[in-house]
Amino acid sequence: MKLSSSTLRTFTTLHTWVGIVAGFALFVAFYAGAITVFHHDLMLWQAPHAMDKPVETMDDAQRLLDETLRRHPDSRKWIGLLFPGGESPQALTYWPDAQGTWHYASLDNPDGGTQPPQAALSELINELHYSLGIPVAGVYLMGIVSMLYGVALISGLIIHLPKLAGDLFALRPGRNLKRFWQDAHNVIGVLGLPLHLMFAITGAMLCLVMVAAFALNPLIYGGKLMEAMPAALDTAPVREPAQVAASMGALSGWVERSQQVAREQGLAEFEPAYLKLTHAGDRNATVEITGEVPRMLGALGAVALDAGSGRVLATQLPGNRDANHATLSIAYLLHFGEYGNAWVQWLYFLLGVGGAFLFYSGNLLWIESRRKRRQHEQGRSPLWMARATVGVCIGLCVAVSASFVAAQAMESDWLAGKDVAAGIRWTCFSTWASCALWAALRAPVRAARELLWAAALATALIPIAHGAVSGWWWWKSAAAGHWALFAIDAGALAMAVGFAMLARATARRAHHGEPNSVWADPRGA
Amino acid sequence: MWARAIAGIVPGFFFSAGLIGLVCWALPGPWQGTLVPGVIALFPVWMGVIAGSFAFATARRAWAFWTLSAGALLGALWTLQWLGWVS
Repeated sequence: MKLSSSTLRTFTTLHTWVGIVAGFALFVAFYAGAITVFHHDLMLWQAPHAMDKPVETMDDAQRLLDETLRRHPDSRKWIGLLFPGGESPQALTYWPDAQGTWHYASLDNPDGGTQPPQAALSELINELHYSLGIPVAGVYLMGIVSMLYGVALISGLIIHLPKLAGDLFALRPGRNLKRFWQDAHNVIGVLGLPLHLMFAITGAMLCLVMVAAFALNPLIYGGKLMEAMPAALDTAPVREPAQVAASMGALSGWVERSQQVAREQGLAEFEPAYLKLTHAGDRNATVEITGEVPRMLGALGAVALDAGSGRVLATQLPGNRDANHATLSIAYLLHFGEYGNAWVQWLYFLLGVGGAFLFYSGNLLWIESRRKRRQHEQGRSPLWMARATVGVCIGLCVAVSASFVAAQAMESDWLAGKDVAAGIRWTCFSTWASCALWAALRAPVRAARELLWAAALATALIPIAHGAVSGWWWWKSAAAGHWALFAIDAGALAMAVGFAMLARATARRAHHGEPNSVWADPRGA
Repeated sequence: MWARAIAGIVPGFFFSAGLIGLVCWALPGPWQGTLVPGVIALFPVWMGVIAGSFAFATARRAWAFWTLSAGALLGALWTLQWLGWVS
């Protein structure tokens, strides 16, 4: 494909600036997002005794539901229940109070609290992923970042288009290091493109869907969007309470009924994941059971029942649902990587880390293309860009690993009774800020080397802290078949080795590489 | 660069909305049936429009093109809705 040189230049400038502006936030989103793929496993990993407890049964879930409804009148209006099983061994109920604050209860803690149990670490990583940890505004900021990300992808593709086929598998090491980094940036960008486009679109959707709906409502939906929303998003029809008390069916009965409905629609399996119950105890109580139909595209489907009689009110199951529910289910599952088996999750993890590399290498290319080849002293902008890249990106890696260690420390007996979530958060953000400050004060190459060693050390401490606090050393987890625990510990060890190798490579480059660069040892050192 | 970027962001948004509205309402079946795919489609279409703005030789042309075509698309959609030819 032929493009005029001025168009190519415009798109190169666009790609550079959009990439620089969004790149830092996207590095955080991808690194934290890669870890968030394993958020269920992280909860098990954080809880010191999760493995010693048996998986709860349907009877336990029933007891929890009854207890919650009895103790918390607010929950009778709207309550969710997470079934015990594959994703979490303990059942969990959650409901909003009159002020809209969410409460969570389990059989261990039937009085409930405003934090889901043992989720502090995975919640923090998830918040870093979708809002950089910034309350309220962060989510909209990330929505804008996702839009810029999409524009960067399109413009990057256009620049690369003339050489796309020829250079696809080119990775040219050698004297021209910029060529090598450019090749690496291109090959990861092009091979990951479908996934990146999907993330740009679904990421923007998840962050900005309400804003988009408000803006589109008067323009193309004639102001009638909000009343059409519930039917498009939920399965159960909205029913007003009859204000007449009535007894409700049992949990096991609802589950059997929904599985029977799924079978009638030709779906052999329907594994319940969670349910929503509205107006509990009323004659118009409605229950909506969401479950997974394995090996289907957009595997989550739902069956809505009258909670008293078990009469089917509506269904939205894979293979037999409307366009709204099909696209929503597929968009969600694609973004969260919740389809296929563990291989898909590992693929998402690798592509997530690869995505983080894409943004990191983009910044390196920016610095490299502004390098002064004939003098040791480099310009101010490449210097500060190098500092920011090292401080924010490598600093985040150190901070995330430090929060893993902090999670174990906070769960240990010495710190019993302390606020676990606050401890983990404080560790994360203070570590990140210290790393950024360190990078701002040191020569970039020294800061890079030191922070990479810090990341290697903090990451290597993850399995040690876990073993020391919970007694689940990685060999013991592997022997007992707790692969989720083993994978996190072993993954941390692998990452620690990776950080150490990067630290050594950085040191080698500083000593032996091109001396006129921000990445060379400072003169006179 | 900024003037073209804003052309893609502001009139480009109305163009994207008009395009999606026309497609969603013209498809068979009630408009409520394409609500979720329509809102999701806004994002890739708008991203493409913002990037596409930079293909114009001048910012003035980008502004003129997106504004006029947005007017035409939304005008057509509102007319069809008003006439009751789409639902």
